[in-house]
Amino acid sequence: MRLAPEKFAEAEEIVSLCSLRAGAELFGIDTREIREVLGTSAPQPVPLAPGYIAGVLPYRGEVLTTVSLRALLGLEERSGANCVLVLEDEELGEQFGLMVDGVGGVVTMMPSELAGNPSTLEARSAALFDGVYKMKTGLMVRLDPQRLRPLELARSGLFGAAKQGRVEQFRTTEMK
Amino acid sequence: MEDLTQEFLAESREGLERMELCLTELERRPEDGELVAEIFRAVHTIKGTTGFLGFGRLQALAHAGESLLAALRDGRVAVGGAVISGLLELRDGLQAILEIIETRGSEGERQTDDDQALIAWMAELEAGRGLHPSQDQVPSKSPGQVAERPVAESLATTEKSAQPHPAGSAGTVHEKTLRIDVEVLNRMMNLVGELVLTRNQILQCAPGDGSFPELARRLNGVTTELRDSVMQARMQPVGALFSKFPRVVRDLAQACGRRVRIEFEGQETGLDKSLLEAVRDPLTHAVRNAVDHGIEPVEERVRAGKPVEGVVRLRAFQQNGWVVIEVTDDGAGISTERVLAKAMERGLVTAEQAAAMTEREVLQLLFTAGFSTAKEVTSVSGRGVGMDVVRMNVEQAGGRAELESRVGLGTTVRLRVPLTLAIVPALVVESGGQSFALPQGSLVELAHVTGAEAETAIERIGLAELYRLREGLLPLVRLDRLLGLEQSTSSAGVAGSAGRERGCYIAVLEPEGRRFGLVLDGLRPPEEIVVKPLSAALRELGVYSGATVLGNGTLAMILDVAVIAAQAGVKPINEETRPAMSTAAQAESAGDETAGGIARIAALEMQDSMVVYETARRGEDGVMRGARMAMPLSAVERIATIPVSEIEYADGRALLQYGAELLPLEDEGELLNAMDARPGTPVTALICLQPREHGVRRVAVVVRQVLDVCPGALLAEDAAICDGPLAMIGERVTALHPGFSARAGTMPARVLEGVA
Repeated sequence: MRLAPEKFAEAEEIVSLCSLRAGAELFGIDTREIREVLGTSAPQPVPLAPGYIAGVLPYRGEVLTTVSLRALLGLEERSGANCVLVLEDEELGEQFGLMVDGVGGVVTMMPSELAGNPSTLEARSAALFDGVYKMKTGLMVRLDPQRLRPLELARSGLFGAAKQGRVEQFRTTEMK
Repeated sequence: MEDLTQEFLAESREGLERMELCLTELERRPEDGELVAEIFRAVHTIKGTTGFLGFGRLQALAHAGESLLAALRDGRVAVGGAVISGLLELRDGLQAILEIIETRGSEGERQTDDDQALIAWMAELEAGRGLHPSQDQVPSKSPGQVAERPVAESLATTEKSAQPHPAGSAGTVHEKTLRIDVEVLNRMMNLVGELVLTRNQILQCAPGDGSFPELARRLNGVTTELRDSVMQARMQPVGALFSKFPRVVRDLAQACGRRVRIEFEGQETGLDKSLLEAVRDPLTHAVRNAVDHGIEPVEERVRAGKPVEGVVRLRAFQQNGWVVIEVTDDGAGISTERVLAKAMERGLVTAEQAAAMTEREVLQLLFTAGFSTAKEVTSVSGRGVGMDVVRMNVEQAGGRAELESRVGLGTTVRLRVPLTLAIVPALVVESGGQSFALPQGSLVELAHVTGAEAETAIERIGLAELYRLREGLLPLVRLDRLLGLEQSTSSAGVAGSAGRERGCYIAVLEPEGRRFGLVLDGLRPPEEIVVKPLSAALRELGVYSGATVLGNGTLAMILDVAVIAAQAGVKPINEETRPAMSTAAQAESAGDETAGGIARIAALEMQDSMVVYETARRGEDGVMRGARMAMPLSAVERIATIPVSEIEYADGRALLQYGAELLPLEDEGELLNAMDARPGTPVTALICLQPREHGVRRVAVVVRQVLDVCPGALLAEDAAICDGPLAMIGERVTALHPGFSARAGTMPARVLEGVA
């Protein structure tokens, strides 16, 4: 885990963030890390996949695995229009999607305005969040795409594993 | 520099491949100067380039070979078995160094002594020492120590090829580069240009603009053409794969003391590049088997009155969207008794099972793991690894392996692989309200259980559900339960709950020898699907092998049947105590059982030969499309090609004079309208005998072309899927001509009208 304040201590450059919403909170992702914003789209659910995987979407001839930010935050899925951001998994060199309620405008921030995660933050949020920007209108949670990668989420073990189908019955009857 | 080396490697490899081919050819035609010149050029090119790139070892070796070849070319040394063995050895030496360069980037200093021995040998051959004209015809007598190497090396490759290829192993240069005809590339570029133009026009197209449908049509056309040309570029002739076999056969025949000739047919058959690599190992194995186990030793052949020289024939052709590669030998064949005896000895089958097995089933036993019928373990093959690996490799590529054999006449190993890995025929199935794609490769048959029959047809032992399929009990796996999609109504596990009243389908699957029935809620028309890989996170789930976009635009996950079988704990057949199923014999007796209301399919109702043909059908949207249909062979009297001018019209109805009879022409696909009206244009028609209420009548059915004749089985009729009868033909569901379904008591009204 890298620490955000250290990272930006050296380069005092303006960061532009794309603001997005999930539930009541405001989030921001560095625009340089967003490949594309897909308008309203409904991912096809994948049975047996962990709960935070909203499903799959066709994207430029590939199949985009889409993570639901609401599910990660422990919020109920909502019906209605969603937005999917296409992000890059740097480790695997493949893309994945992040489903949010909606995307707002681009805001520019100074790195000095970024504060680390509060120490009282519970483990799941601490694993997801990458610090907080103090805006005039309120707080904006910074998200790091590399922490939201489906594989990274699976590794952390904080968000529930893949579901198990009911196959045990076959095994048990065989042993009888 | 890196690029140069890569290019050099690819080029040299091709040169060496050509050299090997020429050498084996030269052995047969020693007087052919062109061949020597060709080999000389290959070695010379390598030598020239290596000097430039600074690979000293390679250069020294190539130089030694070149001077021997120069001597051959100038006629100072005569072409003979020893020289050819030596040159093949040189080729291997060069190849080995190329491989080192490829993996390490430099040639390394290992095996220096080896080089010296080779170079010395070349010099000796050049001096013409140890060569007597009489020995020329006996290739196996080449100088001692070094000549042992081809055998030792081929052994090493046997071991290597016996291991299944780990998925995603680093490919060599050979697998990564591809030669494309510049013409094809130009066409692709043109199409891409066209695509860009169309995109520009679409972007400028205002909403509600009338030209949009036209643009969409053009976009569709360009995309289709582009897809086709990319597919074409990926297609490689199977001949590229065959080219290494003359050498393999030569070395093996020498090692086994047999005389074997290799023949090819259909080298030009195209196969997707990735599949070509996938069948390389199983094919090599099959060829090795043919030489080692198939072809008898010379004395035995003489005793059996066969020509001394055995023949291994490699044949490739396309059939029904598959590429079939056959390896046929004219050897001793496989004795089914011996296979059975061995199988019983190994405990793979019981005596009762053995008694009931058909010849075909017995031969399939050879594909079981750990089965080898070689009387003795030879140095070449016959270590118990063999046909099972062939089968596994081919199945991994989405294909199938089959074996046919006649005692005394020979054996045929048939590898059936799909045309491309990226596009597969699949069944679209529904479960728990979602659609999934089920590749047809491992589908054996389909059964429909009607709502009324669901309770009695599916029986239970404890929690396990079973279905009586003919004489056997088929373990069932419910897809919705496996995927956790179960409706809450049926989750209690109580039989016949509300959710099941609609009935279900059972897809009988047999991946990797595990036979089970997958219970599905519904079926949709089969589609050719484009396989898209999944992200790592979803691959981990195992049950999906990919995803695909269906015709209606939604994504569907592709089920990995083998993983589902393994997860559900289905055991391979030979481990289960399944009652032997002799399909043909029991099919007849089971035919009557269908009265029970369960529509059962395949093998029982009709295992008839089918004529598969192409025509056009009107889709639900009223548009005519090309369609693949079938009709029982027994109904077809003749396939006739007639000039369009011979078709006559009376009262708006097309008629054909056939002998003394006037036949009504049935043209449901409206092919005649679409056809060129010039008098010479040929029309293909099936002259058939159509059953009627009173006797039969002759009718001519116009088709676009006849595709194939192969065995097929009638599927259950179900109005929900298709309003006509369906048949399972060569693993593909095909619509049957409605007028000729098996029990044609109920004839469609429109056909009868024609003769009223």
